Amino acid sequence: MPRLYGDTDKFGEQNNTPVVEAFHGAIRALVRQKLAASGKSWNDFVFGDAVSGITAEDFLAIDQRLLDYGHRYVWSALVSQQERPEAYTAAQGVGEDLATFSFEHPEAPTAAVDAEGRELRGCGDNVVRYDEDLIGTARYVRSSATVLNYLQNGVPPGTIAVIDDSGGTLTAPILEQFTGVICAGGTVRSHLGILTREYGIPCFMNSKISGIREGDTVRLECTATAKTADAYQKGIEMTGRVWRLSK
Amino acid sequence: MNLTYAQLLETNNLIQQNTDETYWLCLTRTVQESKLFPVSPYMILSYFMCFYRYPALLRKIEQHMRAEDIGDRARNMGIKIQNPSMGWCLPSFYLLGREYLITMGLIRPQDAVEDVVYVMDFWKRYELAWHRNDGHLTNRDFGHRAQVLPERRLQIFHADMYDCVEGDPLHTAAQAFMAATSQYGFLVSCESRIALHNQGPYKLDDEREMIVRDFMDLAEGDYPWLDGVAADMPYNNLTVPMAVKGVHFNIIDDWGSFESQPEFKSEHVVGVGLYTSDTLSEGYIPVGMGSREELTRTFNELAEKAKDATNKLWKRIAGWSRDQMMDAGAITYFSIVKDLAHVAGCYEMEDWMLIDQRAERFRPLLNDEYSNMSLWEILGPLSNPCQRTNEYQLCQHANIPARMYSLIPYTILKDGDYTATVGDLQPGITYLPPKEDRYRTTRGVLPLADYNRHARDFTPTVCDDNNRWLCESWLKYHHDTPEAEALYRAEQQHSRVLKDKGAGLRRADVERLRGK
Repeated sequence: MPRLYGDTDKFGEQNNTPVVEAFHGAIRALVRQKLAASGKSWNDFVFGDAVSGITAEDFLAIDQRLLDYGHRYVWSALVSQQERPEAYTAAQGVGEDLATFSFEHPEAPTAAVDAEGRELRGCGDNVVRYDEDLIGTARYVRSSATVLNYLQNGVPPGTIAVIDDSGGTLTAPILEQFTGVICAGGTVRSHLGILTREYGIPCFMNSKISGIREGDTVRLECTATAKTADAYQKGIEMTGRVWRLSK
Repeated sequence: MNLTYAQLLETNNLIQQNTDETYWLCLTRTVQESKLFPVSPYMILSYFMCFYRYPALLRKIEQHMRAEDIGDRARNMGIKIQNPSMGWCLPSFYLLGREYLITMGLIRPQDAVEDVVYVMDFWKRYELAWHRNDGHLTNRDFGHRAQVLPERRLQIFHADMYDCVEGDPLHTAAQAFMAATSQYGFLVSCESRIALHNQGPYKLDDEREMIVRDFMDLAEGDYPWLDGVAADMPYNNLTVPMAVKGVHFNIIDDWGSFESQPEFKSEHVVGVGLYTSDTLSEGYIPVGMGSREELTRTFNELAEKAKDATNKLWKRIAGWSRDQMMDAGAITYFSIVKDLAHVAGCYEMEDWMLIDQRAERFRPLLNDEYSNMSLWEILGPLSNPCQRTNEYQLCQHANIPARMYSLIPYTILKDGDYTATVGDLQPGITYLPPKEDRYRTTRGVLPLADYNRHARDFTPTVCDDNNRWLCESWLKYHHDTPEAEALYRAEQQHSRVLKDKGAGLRRADVERLRGK
């Protein structure tokens, strides 16, 4: 079998993640096999047979081999999971199981109810500092179906949307109606952070929360210092707290 | 092409500059993700498209107009070939596609070398022209700043903007417009920020700065998914000069986004204007700028149109298949430099709105997990084998022995063991409905053939042979000449305050005139 250019890499090691290593290793093996079968020099092969002879079917076989080993992909766009449920891990907290669902971040700071009736359930990176904390009702927004429902029927007043999508598109038609946002991903520079800033909606990004259920009354410490780019670059923690006020 | 040592040195330097800046941008600016769009999968698909198609498309464009000449045009209007499109996306999308193929073993660093040299050289020439007035290659090169506009245009933005304070009708309307249009822009661009651009800052006085904000590709135009839903958007590109008080914009990066000290809030906005422009316009055309009331009304009307289009487009997208979402996202990314072809008058839908078949074959690999993880590895820990360097190295910002984009080995000058190019354009496919032949321009809604013909026949006055070399360095010593006077009057023809005021005004004169 011929050796590829990268096979004599002095400094390169394996990829960090198993799926990437599995795919890249399989593709390199495929290239060696196709190069050998072509009988051509690399320079004649690279933009000839390596393009026309390495096909979508070859890549589909690599994908299928990993699934046959029992691997299931972690989904990030719901459409991916919904179109290929057999290839992805299950989607939880996006449908009828919402009543019993909650984000559970292992590093979420928690504490018992204090004298003011506040139960600490997490923290997040404050996008903009406001003069007062925000109190509202937590409602999970994680799917197009939920957004469509709110688009047709309106977002209930006082809704603090609990989202794990730091983008600005899933909630695009209803974002303006939120009273506040708790986002489990991203940074204050993510698109959701940018848009909540433009709309003047209090928002925590990169939130680490635990035990907050649909309908809980929560309080966001949006009087906390807004997290800066410098703090991200230097790895400095700069968060506001999330409390549950009743259950 | 007869490759020289100097060419390779320069090309590798340009590659390395993109390595350094890409790491910083990814570290400090954002995490881009979506539960609606498969973002990482479409991004990677677009990188393959860029690697296979950009060389041929850029060469096709330069058969009509040189990169540096297009840069001159773009400097005088608010269309998409600014940032992040040209400052970062053109070279980095292309180089990311190349790096993916290298790490997969499908190419070597010395494959398609003439393409690499050409693409980086095209980028350099364009950027130097676009940044001509500040004399830099990129915003990074300028300490994250972009002072692209000439004095004559800055004076008009300064003179004609209306003052506002938080809570007044104009301030409220402007803020509502920028929020709604930003959100619409994210949706049009499939979760990317490439419909938005900021340049500056420009100093208005000791307390106030101005940045110029562009909102681009809003109307029925190149994107098939805007057919119908954006029919009521009356402008494809809108530009908002925005004055702020008590804030210094300390970072305007090559993604076109900003940072400020102290933290920017809407209460800092003290002045706004509104303009449109495109490749067929004589620079910036005022929109609703006849009076404060008209501008307030215009902002409100446009915000409502943006919201209406957002709702319609969201419903359309929510019904898409994953392949359609992949196509729209990948096409949005890949075609981020498509306005180069519009300026040159050689835009063809098949060039920019289809998935190249050489890239399309990778689609089965692009599940969410592989895409997220491989993108993280190539941009974050730089952990692909091809990205690792000797252990003595400390790369910029990350302090690890790695380099994001592989350099071209110099041994090819000795042994000639390299390949030149990926070759010509090849066919493409799409799962999206076909594009309808309607393009919103400043000369109305046109079929593409007319759009291209007008573009080829048109040279803006400030870019014609009489004016293109009348640069800011020349103006400093020749402001009292008939040539300078004519140039300024041409730019001032639509100005409410400065019409026919000519070339002799200083910033303080403009401030006095706007107060009258």
